[in-house]
Order: sequence, then structure tokens, then C-alpha cells
Amino acid sequence: MDRRHFAKTVLAFACGLAAVPASAAETVTLMAYTGLFQDRYTQAVLAPFEKANPDIKVVFAPQPTSGAMIGQLRAQKAAPQVDVVIMDVSVAKAGTDEGLFVKLEAKDLPVIDELYPNARIPEIAGVAVTFDNLVLIYNTEAWPTAPKSIADMATPAVKGKVVIPGIPDIQGMSLVAILDKKNGGPGVEGKFAKGIEAMEAIAPNVQTWEPKPEVYAPVIAGQASIGVGWNARAQVNTDTSGGKMKAVIPAEGTAFQINTINLVQGAPQSAAARKFIAYALSAEAQKSFTETMFYAPTNAKAQIAPAAIDRTVVKSLDKVVPIDWLAVAKVRDQVAEAWRRKVIPLSR
Amino acid sequence: MSATATVAATAGSAADRPAGGGLVVALLLPIALVNLVGFLLPVFNLALISLQEVQASGAMTGGWSTAKWVSVVTDDFYWELLWNTIRTSLGITLATLLVSYPIALYLHRSSGLWRSVLLVMVISPLLLSAVVRTYGWIAILSDQGVVNSVLKAFGAAEPWRLMFNLTGVTIGLTEILMPYMILALVAGFGRLDPRAEEAAATLGASPFRVFRRIVLPLSVPGIALGSLLTFVLAVSSFITPKLLGGGRVFLLATEVYDQAIVTLDWPLAATLSMIVLVVFGIAIAVYGRLVRSIG
Repeated sequence: MDRRHFAKTVLAFACGLAAVPASAAETVTLMAYTGLFQDRYTQAVLAPFEKANPDIKVVFAPQPTSGAMIGQLRAQKAAPQVDVVIMDVSVAKAGTDEGLFVKLEAKDLPVIDELYPNARIPEIAGVAVTFDNLVLIYNTEAWPTAPKSIADMATPAVKGKVVIPGIPDIQGMSLVAILDKKNGGPGVEGKFAKGIEAMEAIAPNVQTWEPKPEVYAPVIAGQASIGVGWNARAQVNTDTSGGKMKAVIPAEGTAFQINTINLVQGAPQSAAARKFIAYALSAEAQKSFTETMFYAPTNAKAQIAPAAIDRTVVKSLDKVVPIDWLAVAKVRDQVAEAWRRKVIPLSR
Repeated sequence: MSATATVAATAGSAADRPAGGGLVVALLLPIALVNLVGFLLPVFNLALISLQEVQASGAMTGGWSTAKWVSVVTDDFYWELLWNTIRTSLGITLATLLVSYPIALYLHRSSGLWRSVLLVMVISPLLLSAVVRTYGWIAILSDQGVVNSVLKAFGAAEPWRLMFNLTGVTIGLTEILMPYMILALVAGFGRLDPRAEEAAATLGASPFRVFRRIVLPLSVPGIALGSLLTFVLAVSSFITPKLLGGGRVFLLATEVYDQAIVTLDWPLAATLSMIVLVVFGIAIAVYGRLVRSIG
């Protein structure tokens, strides 16, 4: 091979390499919760999206919590590696305030007009993609008849058998907010004092305020008999445990946990990311994910199968205690202090 | 002069000469750079974060504030947290020392294949992550665990609360930190000469007296090193207190985790982390003083 021929060959090979990225699939990086969420979301939303859009590949970048996600986003602010993030609404507020996200608007993403009004949160750049709610979870062997009320966690029969993810976890905070409302407390204005007071009756029965890896495992194993958790994960755990654990909305009420979907400012694949967000919010994807993991849909047009909708909060909206998480954040430190001073010592 | 003697003489004269300044800098530069990039700059950044202003949402939108330092210094909770952390870590260090010392002494006195087997047994727990070992303790200490099952078989009416409290954290961390203590003790037993013990025994000292007057004083360097290492590791561990503490054991490291990951108050987490660094600094200073005092 002479020198000129060799140079031509190298040039052709280099051009060929350069052409590969243009013809290959675009890769959207989605950051969201690890574990059950990752498995079910990949199956219910990512797989059909990639099938319908063969030119886009979605890579799932799992993180254990929303707090860990925002840590990643802050570290990558100068050169983001992530395009789309699904995270809790209160953490998304911090991300919005720090300019980490692009405001999603209906003029660019018409699907936003299909969402329930409470899925559009003015202070947040993204929009709600799932609604979840607090439930009582119980071991079905220990409770042949399902418990009905949060007060069931205060009875002597369950001493040392109660598991509650305590404050600062928002499950503990939701429980306090529900009890505050039930006992006539004013909520944020009263720093949830009535809710804290009501927790004092439950505290002596609590086995752990830090159930790990999640609250469901000890209830399934029978190490605990009752506790509080999130509905979606509870429903999936009900199925995977063969009914050893079940969930019920307590008589005192329930509270929403909202996950938002957000477009990262400076996202490497902005156009493809918007396409993915539009799909994630569509009636089709919302139906699929609700039927797979029992989060309530945020798209009002999603036609959910009755068997699945009965296992979400949709038919019990009257029981939802409204919590303004952005307002709660302002009194969080005082509530946490009351929790440490008044509730924890009673559980020792 | 033989070749060996020439080499020895050359090496001797090179060692006697003070090394050139350039060589010292060249040798120190890599580790200095690693420390600068991997430790000093992050610590400086941590100090800066502790002085940042934070919104209720957790957003850090610029602006400086000493609010977190003021709240940490003026709030009793954080003083209690500091005291709890030091007290708990000292207790764990003492427990670890008590259970590790006999093992380390036996290991020091053993030899040959048996010594290698024992060393592998000591080191092997380090091959498993602390998370896995902590879950192991959950299986042992829970109400339906091994210990409570045995107690029940012997007629205990109520299960003992062995975890989700300080007892669980102490048991778990003591076991998890034992390999570090044992290895540090063995390394520090260098001055322990069996002939000194034999001499004391020959002169009529009882075994206990030999231990108190010969073995224990000579093993102080190992005890100091092992205790420093264990104390520092106990102060900074958060996985085991999180899993075995049941949300009832408040320590600096677990609070740093909660503030950084759950509450999203990075400046407060950074402030508490700086306090942890100060505790480490004091521990190292105490260790240095002790080592100097024993010559």
C-alpha cells in the first residue's frame, strides 16, 4: 500500500467514525429512583417509548433519594450529564430556585394541558408525573381484620411492632400533618403541634423510626405488624409478598407525595428529552405506569383499568389532607425539634 | 575492598549526607498534590458551603451567612449531639479494645501457619461491606433473632431490646471495628519482648504482675494507635448507627447525612462536618501527645 493510498484509507475510516454518532440513536439520560421504581418505570414507560422512537435511547441513572439527585445536579451544573429528572416536589423547588431546570410550559409541551390542575405547580419548573399517598401497611397474619385507623398503632397489642419512617422523612411528616388536621390543629401556622401531641400516644409502641431498606420489608417478614408507607410501593410489595402485607388508607386521612418530571438546564439532548417528557406525561404512559405500579396518574385523560384504579387514591380524594410542602419547609426545623424533644424520648 | 563492602560504604555515605532540597521536593510533590486536590481543596470547599445562605427549600442561591454556625453553637441540641457522639465513640473504642486485646496478644505470640490462619480470620471480615455485616447483626439481634430465640428457649417472657437503640449500635460497631483495632495492636506490639516477661517470671512475678508491669506498659503504643483509629472510625460511621439505631441514636455523622440528603440543608451538614474534623484534630493531638510522652 503506497503512502497516498494509506492516507486515503485512514481519512475514509475517520470520516466513517465521525459519521457514526450522527446516524446512531440519541441518548436521553433519565435520573430517578433506584430499585422498584427503576424496574417498573423501565418496563412500563421506557420500553414502549424506545419502541416507538427507535432513534432515541433512554438511559436510566438511578439514585436512592431526591436529595442524592440534587447533589448530582449541583455537581454537574457547569456541564450537565443528565437530561431529565424525576424527583420529589419539595426537592424540585430547591432545584428550580437554583436554576437547575428549564420551565416546562404548555406552549412547548401541549400535553401539560391534559394534566390535573394540581399537577401544575407554579413555583416548580417541572410538572407532576406521579401522585402517591400515605397508607397504613399491616402484616396480614397479625391483622386478620384490616386495621382502619392511625389510632390502631397506639393500642397496647402492637407494642414494639410499629414501624414508621420518622421525621425528617416526609412519611413521618405526612403522618404528623394528618394527625394535626384530625385533632383540629392549624397546620403550618401551629407548627403541627397537635400532630406532634397525637404522635406521643403512638411513640411508645414504635420499634424503629428508621426501617431499612424500606418500611415494607419488616412488615412482610412479621418483624413488625403495622406501620406507614407509600401506596405505590405498598401495592407492589403486596403482590410480590403474596399478600403477607397489605395497605389501607387510614380513617384520619391520607396525604399526597408528588413526583415531578424536570428538564435539566443545559441538558445535552434537550429536544429528545422534551419528546421523552411529553411521552411520560401522555395518557398512554400514565395508564401503563399506574397499572404497573399503582401511582395515581397526573394526566386526566388516562383511562386506567378499574382493578388498578381501585388500588390508587383516585377514588378516595375526599380523604386527602392538603399539605403545602413548600410552606412546610419553612417550619421544618421547629417541627423536627419538637419531634426530637417530645416524640423520640417516649419511644426509648 | 570487596564489592559488598563498597556498596555498603557508598550507601552509608549517601545516607549520612543530607538529601538535596530538589530531591525532597520531587519526592514530596506527588503526595502533596494528591492531598491538596483530594483533601485540602474539598475541606476548603466544605468550609465555604458552611457559610452559604440557604433557603427553606434547601436552595443555595448565592449569598453568605454565618447563621448555621450561630445556630449550631447556640442550640443545645448540637452540643448534646457532640457530647453523645464523643461519649458513644469512646465507649465503643473501649469495648473494642477490651475484646480485641486478648486476640491481638495471642496473635502476636503465635507463629508459623497458625499465625497466618489467625491473621486471615482477623482480616476476612473486612472483605465484607459494613452494610452486609450490619444486616447480619439485625438477623442476630432482632426480636426474632438468634439471641432472643435462645433466651426464649430458656424461658424469657419478653424479647430483650438488643437493637434499634444504643446497645445495638455499640454491639454492631464494636464488631465491625475489631479488625482495625486488632491489626493496630499487633503492629504496636513490636516492643513486646517475650524475654522481658520470662525475666520477670523468673524473678518471681505472678502472671498478673507480669501483665500489669511488663506487657501492658509495653503495649501502650499499640493501644494508643488502635484507639485513635477506632475512635475516628466510630465518630465517622453512619451506616451502622442508621441501621441499628432505629432513629433513636443521634450522632454527628447520622445528622450530617440527614441534613445533606433528607432535609437538603447543605450548609448545616457542612458546619457539622467541620465540627467532626475538629474532633478528629483533637483526637490526633491527644494521640501525638501520648506517643511523645511515652518516648
